[in-house]
Amino acid sequence: MSWRVALIALAVVAAVALLAWLLHGGGPQPVQQVLPSEELPTPTPAPEQRIVLLFPGGDGLLHPELRTVPFPKEPHARIRVVMRELLAGPAATPRLAPVIPYEAELNAVFVDSDGNAFIDLTAPPDSLQGSSTELLLAYGVVDSILLNCPTISAVQILFGGHEVGTLTGHLDLSKPLVLNKRFIAAS
Amino acid sequence: MGFQDLKRLLQLVLIALIIGAGLLPAQDLDRTIEFQFGGRAIVVPRFGPRFEVLPVLELMGAEAGYSPAAGTFIVVWGERSIQFAIDHKMVLIDGTLQEARDAPAASPGGVAVSLTFLDRSLLSPMDHHLEPIPGGYRIVPGARFADPVTVRPAAADFGATTTLLLSLSRPAEVLVEETPAGAVVVRFEDASPQLDSTVPFRSRRVHSLTSRNQTIELALASGVGLLSWHVVEDPPRVIVELGIASPTPTPAPVQVVRRTGPRPIVIDPGHGGDDVGARSADGLMEKDLVLGIAHRLKRVLEARGHPVRLTREDDVHRALTDRTALANRLEARVFISLHANASTVASVSGAETYYMSLDQSSTDAEAAATADLENRAGAASGERSPLDLILWDLAQAEVLNESADLALALQGRLNALLGLRDRGVKQAPFVVLTGATMPAALVEVGFLSNPSQASLLAQPTRQQELAEAIADGVEDFVRR
Repeated sequence: MSWRVALIALAVVAAVALLAWLLHGGGPQPVQQVLPSEELPTPTPAPEQRIVLLFPGGDGLLHPELRTVPFPKEPHARIRVVMRELLAGPAATPRLAPVIPYEAELNAVFVDSDGNAFIDLTAPPDSLQGSSTELLLAYGVVDSILLNCPTISAVQILFGGHEVGTLTGHLDLSKPLVLNKRFIAAS
Repeated sequence: MGFQDLKRLLQLVLIALIIGAGLLPAQDLDRTIEFQFGGRAIVVPRFGPRFEVLPVLELMGAEAGYSPAAGTFIVVWGERSIQFAIDHKMVLIDGTLQEARDAPAASPGGVAVSLTFLDRSLLSPMDHHLEPIPGGYRIVPGARFADPVTVRPAAADFGATTTLLLSLSRPAEVLVEETPAGAVVVRFEDASPQLDSTVPFRSRRVHSLTSRNQTIELALASGVGLLSWHVVEDPPRVIVELGIASPTPTPAPVQVVRRTGPRPIVIDPGHGGDDVGARSADGLMEKDLVLGIAHRLKRVLEARGHPVRLTREDDVHRALTDRTALANRLEARVFISLHANASTVASVSGAETYYMSLDQSSTDAEAAATADLENRAGAASGERSPLDLILWDLAQAEVLNESADLALALQGRLNALLGLRDRGVKQAPFVVLTGATMPAALVEVGFLSNPSQASLLAQPTRQQELAEAIADGVEDFVRR
């Protein structure tokens, strides 16, 4: 084969391969955590705002703890911030207890068009007991979200990706719960 | 670089390019999947078992995209709204949660799902399903689920009614309803029924059965309609009663417990069986403690002339709804559920009484106590829209004020007991109180998680005091 023939063949094959590569979108792309391009987060950080978090106290009631955090506008993102702060536990008042009395993570957050939020927490251990434990867990989470997220009207807590009837055999958790201030201690 | 070197380099580049170009078509075939809908087609990238789904939904004319406000992808198809999230199996279909078999994943185009997810969780709610074609799938009308259920029909004609028995090859979620047009339809929530035609079927009132998608339609004789239906779990069967059509279908029959004599007071010892409830450090179990108090309370009330029924006489499990249902069927005068509490904070102690909460409002005092919370939380100040009133289908709503009086009467007597801290009367949506048609309350007699209170509750004299205090409260209420 003469070198001229080789060069022509090279040019033809290179052009074909380049065209195919470009049409193909630049080659294989691995599946990765990305948002749709039109919904990329804005570079501006959320403004700081004071939020109220509820934690159980030694009197078996919920007590508020105020915390200033960057607080976004979107309800979904707000719920994630509230839950992140709740799961971190009480910081200012040592006498308060964690609102989730076991090692838990927030798995997912849904918000439907009616303003109902669905949050999925790690499934609890079998050792949870008592209506007080159930009530303070549920309303510590529900009231903390509702007090800080005015567009949310009710919250249903899922555990381990599942709806539950009750947690310890008392409170009806099969439906979204609305704000219930009866378990918040008078200030 | 000499001419020979340049020639060798070009040869190498040529070989590399030929090999590279040769690989491209094979990758393309492996990494795409075609979908057809209504004469149009689209080819989307595939990533292992998943593929880009948003272009497929757009091909169908559905609005589909990511909503930052909801934190989910939202698909709108006519009046149907479907929400799902990356790495999560829960799918919200018109506000109802369903669990998918696998979770969507993030992808360069937004979100990728499996064929199962598309077929079961997206297309079925949109009344469509997938049919395989070479190189892909066609989206065709009609919901379809992967799991069929074989249905063997049998009928018995009686004088004025017909009993239709549908034996199922496996348990399935079933709903029987009469359409506005007068047809009777058996709907399967999670399966596609397949009629077993090997067994002959004859009935004067049921001319034929036709299975279509997730339903079985009954062709009935003129004037015949649905009277009632119910499901038997073991073996799985649907029993449908048909007869002269009535304007409104009657509800499913329930077991009838006849009350004789005056209306009883129904006492519900909480938990039971495998559900032990709370437990003290010494091993005292709530189910045993409240059963003992319930028996004492029964004896005290009967000695004072009140008929009493317990929802459980011994250590057995009872469903929460069965306990309330028994009180309703007995037309109970009062329903009291007995419990002992537990807290993760050991110092918490005292007795408290609950009645049902409709959750639509709080009292003025509670509002005053917590109003400044909302003000102190800058986020909520001035932004809160009025809380939506959520009204469950509650029989308790009819007697809520009486339940409040009952709870106050019980708590008042408990407060009089020496050494028992008053934790007050509270409202909460407890399952066992939901649906009770009579004044109903739940009493928490103390905290088993508090060591000193647990040892006090273990004493028979204390249990008798509690029983007598509750009996006094019941009498205060019924004689008010």
